[in-house]
Amino acid sequence: MNSQNTNQALLRVEDLKMHFPIYRGVLQRQVGAVHAVDGISFEVHRGETLGLVGESGCGKSTTGRAILQLYKPTAGNVIFDSVDLVSLKHEEMRKTRRKLQMIFQDPYASLNPRMTVYDIVAEPMMVHNTAVGKEIQERVEHLLELVNLNPAFASRYPHEFSGGQRQRIGIARALALQPSFIVCDEPISALDVSIQAQVVNLLEELQEQFNLTYLFIAHDLSMVRHISKRVAVMYLGVIMELADRDDLYHSPLHPYTQALLSAVPIPDPIADSRRRRVILEGDVPSPVNPPSGCRFRTRCPIAEKICAESRPDFREATPGHFVACHLAK
Amino acid sequence: MPDLLLDIKGLETQFKTPEGVVHAVNGVSFGLKEGETLGVVGESGCGKSVTMLSVLGLIPSPPGKVVAGEAFFSGQDLLKMTNEEIRHVRGAQIGMIFQDPMTSLNPVLTIGRQLEEPLMLHIGMTKNQAQERAAELLSLVGIPKAKDRLGDYPHQYSGGMRQRVMIAMALSCSPQILIADEPTTALDVTIQAQIMELVKRLREELGMSIVWITHDLGVVAGIAHRVAVMYGGFIIEEASVNSLFANPSHPYTLGLLGSLPRVDEVEHGRLFSIEGQPPVLYQKPTTCPFAPRCKWVMERCWKENPMLEPISTEHQVACWVDTKTGRSR
Repeated sequence: MNSQNTNQALLRVEDLKMHFPIYRGVLQRQVGAVHAVDGISFEVHRGETLGLVGESGCGKSTTGRAILQLYKPTAGNVIFDSVDLVSLKHEEMRKTRRKLQMIFQDPYASLNPRMTVYDIVAEPMMVHNTAVGKEIQERVEHLLELVNLNPAFASRYPHEFSGGQRQRIGIARALALQPSFIVCDEPISALDVSIQAQVVNLLEELQEQFNLTYLFIAHDLSMVRHISKRVAVMYLGVIMELADRDDLYHSPLHPYTQALLSAVPIPDPIADSRRRRVILEGDVPSPVNPPSGCRFRTRCPIAEKICAESRPDFREATPGHFVACHLAK
Repeated sequence: MPDLLLDIKGLETQFKTPEGVVHAVNGVSFGLKEGETLGVVGESGCGKSVTMLSVLGLIPSPPGKVVAGEAFFSGQDLLKMTNEEIRHVRGAQIGMIFQDPMTSLNPVLTIGRQLEEPLMLHIGMTKNQAQERAAELLSLVGIPKAKDRLGDYPHQYSGGMRQRVMIAMALSCSPQILIADEPTTALDVTIQAQIMELVKRLREELGMSIVWITHDLGVVAGIAHRVAVMYGGFIIEEASVNSLFANPSHPYTLGLLGSLPRVDEVEHGRLFSIEGQPPVLYQKPTTCPFAPRCKWVMERCWKENPMLEPISTEHQVACWVDTKTGRSR
């Protein structure tokens, strides 16, 4: 990854692995592991949005959580602002975490139904002692205004709000500690189409205002194209391709990326009928026992012998365009 | 007008809730021609699912009630049928598939048993005939080694395969109409592409008519011949698929299309977003239900609810404003 300018990287992930052990029997011996994330490396530059896309079970959410050390990674380093988060002790990590925040997918499950909006947004500041007394109240009001919610609603409970408004509360909470890096884990997938655009526009405005860096995890390739500067495509625990947005969408190199892009429906019947569609056969294999060599070879339309024999390197095919495929040009 | 297979007129459905009566469907009329695929689009709560469930007599009553309307299917009004009569239409002449294949399948019965049941019930096949036909149906929907997999339970199938089973089940009695309620929403894009391809193939082979309910305008563009857009329990725009996407005329349709980023092009700046939220209708709207969110709103919109009016031979819209000129129609 030499050509990427390391100075501008806010976050660098190096050969990150996250395996979840499987225990069986009376003695609870480990009989295997779910290879949720299996050796991925990438950088997120200061102030950019890196889109992380893939289908369910590809490890994209696990990656986000492992970066924030919500899971202890099995191997690898997560370097944030030149500190390796994996080596930090619990208390040090807790302090560092105020710089790294998360916005969750389900605005119904990620807000405590017994807490008022005020308490939800104020809690991070109280836990981390970043504000006291009157300050907290002013800050909560300010945060709610930032996400376009009426501060007068602060005493209400989450069930009184719609899905889009709840997601705004979650965003206000994530901003409470003035983080520099936010993992957005499918923040709009649970929302209606007309509400999705509202939340995405808000995220973009906040990014400009506070120079935020996002890791935007999603399965909606159209939305990722809109919001990201660069995009990484994951499949079965591995990054298959990473490139600048337009590069990736215009000239995808990996057969998986090509198939994925061709499967996305376009709201235009004429353009849609002109497209060449690659229909992948079968389903994603189990991450407990992933295929040898290239993970994608069992569904790949162009797989050859070498694909089963060795795992392709994640190489830089053209400047800034990385791909893990033996056969891609 | 050519003969309509299904002719729905003035359908109204309400639900009694502790907060009051919710007017979910408020006078919906449409027809379905032979061999045609009609896409019904709208956001959660717009009445798209309730419309079709009402027609099939599947509204739980209480709290739901179909209060007005007619639904003619081969000369008979489905809404006037007894439970026993409509049970013979459902499954036999009108097949259905739903969003979540896991909850629509019985987890403690084998796939084979669940496929055979309607065959024995509706067509009166013997156990052996039904078994044979079940295996045929599974291979028709592209499940490999179909015969061997009849003894499997639903959890042994992946999400995409379960949806294939649902389709096999819906098609088992060779229905004239297939009603698909968000059949690909819970699936990944590559699996969604497989299912859409499958439905298109079966539609040609079997020559059936389809009502495809979805929130995804991209999916509709890829599969429907004609589209009805719903909002607040009304059809607010109805057109052939090409006319709708080439010439969207209702402010809501325009807003939805504008708020969707596309995978095949980059738009600059912010997404167009529709402010506010969809309504919950405790009263039957007497004004335009979209008026509070509409940027073209005029005085008349607050006084009268527009009805569907033709703007060309294959395009109808319910709006007082000509969105091309911004003036009254």
